[in-house]
This record gives sequence, C-alpha cells and structure tokens, in this order.
Amino acid sequence: MDKKLPVTCPSCEAELKVHSLSCDSCQTTINGSFELPLLIKLEQKEQDFIIAFVKSSGSLKIMAQELKLSYPTVRNMLDDLINKIVELQKINK
Amino acid sequence: MNKAIFNPFKYVAGVKSLVIGILIILVTAYIGYTSNTHFPDLISIKTCPDLPVWYFVIQSLSNWIVFSSLLYSCAIVGSPSSVRLVDIFGTQALARFPYLIASFIGFSDSINKFGKYMLWTLLQKGESISLSTGNFVIAISLIILTFLLTIWLVALMYNAFKVSANIKGTKAVVFFIIVFIVSMVITGYISKYLFAKFS
Repeated sequence: MDKKLPVTCPSCEAELKVHSLSCDSCQTTINGSFELPLLIKLEQKEQDFIIAFVKSSGSLKIMAQELKLSYPTVRNMLDDLINKIVELQKINK
Repeated sequence: MNKAIFNPFKYVAGVKSLVIGILIILVTAYIGYTSNTHFPDLISIKTCPDLPVWYFVIQSLSNWIVFSSLLYSCAIVGSPSSVRLVDIFGTQALARFPYLIASFIGFSDSINKFGKYMLWTLLQKGESISLSTGNFVIAISLIILTFLLTIWLVALMYNAFKVSANIKGTKAVVFFIIVFIVSMVITGYISKYLFAKFS
C-alpha cells in the first residue's frame, strides 16, 4: 500500500513543513524547516491529472479520450486545478 | 447510473453530442408530426391538429436554437473558461432526449378525451363526453409521465449548461433561470407565429 504524504496537521489542520530529511545510503540526517513543494500540496487525483496532462503534451482532447470524459469536463477540471494552484500560491506569498 | 441519466455531458459533448442531438430533435419533430404532439415553447407538450411536417421541424429546432444562443451569450459573459459553441449547442440538443419519448404521447387518444371531459365537466364547454376508467387511468399516467419527462429535460438542460460553460453555484442558477424565462417567451411567440402560418 502506498503511504499518503500528509500535508496538513491532523490536530489543527495547519500546513505541515518538512522537519528532517535522511539518506538511506549513509544514514545522514538533515534537520531544518522546509516548505513543501506546491505540487505535493495538491490531492493525489490532481497530481495524477497534471501527470496525464503533461504526458498528453497538454492536449485536452487526447486527455478526454484517454479518461473517457467529455472535452468540457476535462477543461473544467483543468480550470479548477488552475484556480486551486493560484489560491495556494497566494497563501504561500 | 443516476449521474449518467441526469448528466451524460460529463462523458459526451462537442460534435458527437451535436450530431446525436440534432438527430434526436429531427426524429422528435417527425414523431410529433405523426402523433399530433407539438412543443409550443421550451418545455410545453401539447396535442395539436394536423399540420405540415415543417411546422414541427422548425418549432423543435427553434426551441433548441433560441435557448442555446442565449445560454452561449451568458457563457461568454460569465464563464471563467473558454467556452466552445459546439459544446453549448451540442449538449443542449442532446438534453432534448426526454421529449423524444414525450412525442409518442399523442398516439394515445386518452389525453384528448380527458381534456374534453375536464373542459365539459368543469366549464361546460365543448361537447359532453363519457370517459371510461381505462381512459382515465391512461390519461393520468401520461400526465404524470409528461411531468417526469419535463423535470428530466430541465435537469439535463441545466447540467448541460453547467458542464459546457463551467459556471457553478448561484451564478449558474441565476443565468439559467433568466435565459429559461426569456426563452419561454421567445419560443412561445415563434410557435404562435408558426401555428398561424402553417394552420
């Protein structure tokens, strides 16, 4: 089972930060406070959408065929995703 | 399943829905012609006297074109997305499917008899007519069916607008209601004109 990376605090729902990173090879651990990348803050299905979008060379028509959805449905999904990214960028600023 | 019945536009839109939708409209018009069932505005279903087939074709097409044109204008003004004409017209054409079923209603004589019976019983107008229990049950069933088909049609029209224009929430409801009312008036006038011209 793939573990889901938590991006918000389960206690207060604030945005989480990366506290430590470790190397599996030499066991080096780096501690600090790092922001999560914007794309990781998106839900899994939104990340999957972005991957599918890039793989189809940004063609919504091809995506619609592959996802067996109509063109406007896929376009609406993209527009919703754009709005969410813009909102996240505003929060980060 | 329910989602597909009320919102097939998640899966079908564009040219495909336009072609299927126009076929639905034309077949509806032809069946209406043979069953003496017409659609004198956006959502009304009524029986009518014998009229030329062009009356039914023009009426059905105008109901679709008027509503779709007004929705497209609203979508251009209110949508955050780039709206395609083919999606608005295609999904709205496909949304007319419930009235393909409704066009068969005129084949039953029970509705006509029921109408004449009610007119005579309540208003003493027309001619006295006796209505059998069978005719009464069929007429009531068809009235309920017509009501359900109208609800289905409106739900499809609304969902078609939401998907093809990407307008949501209150804005979608307000646009839809305004366009719906204006279209009712315009299509009503067009049908009156057509009726006068063809009858």
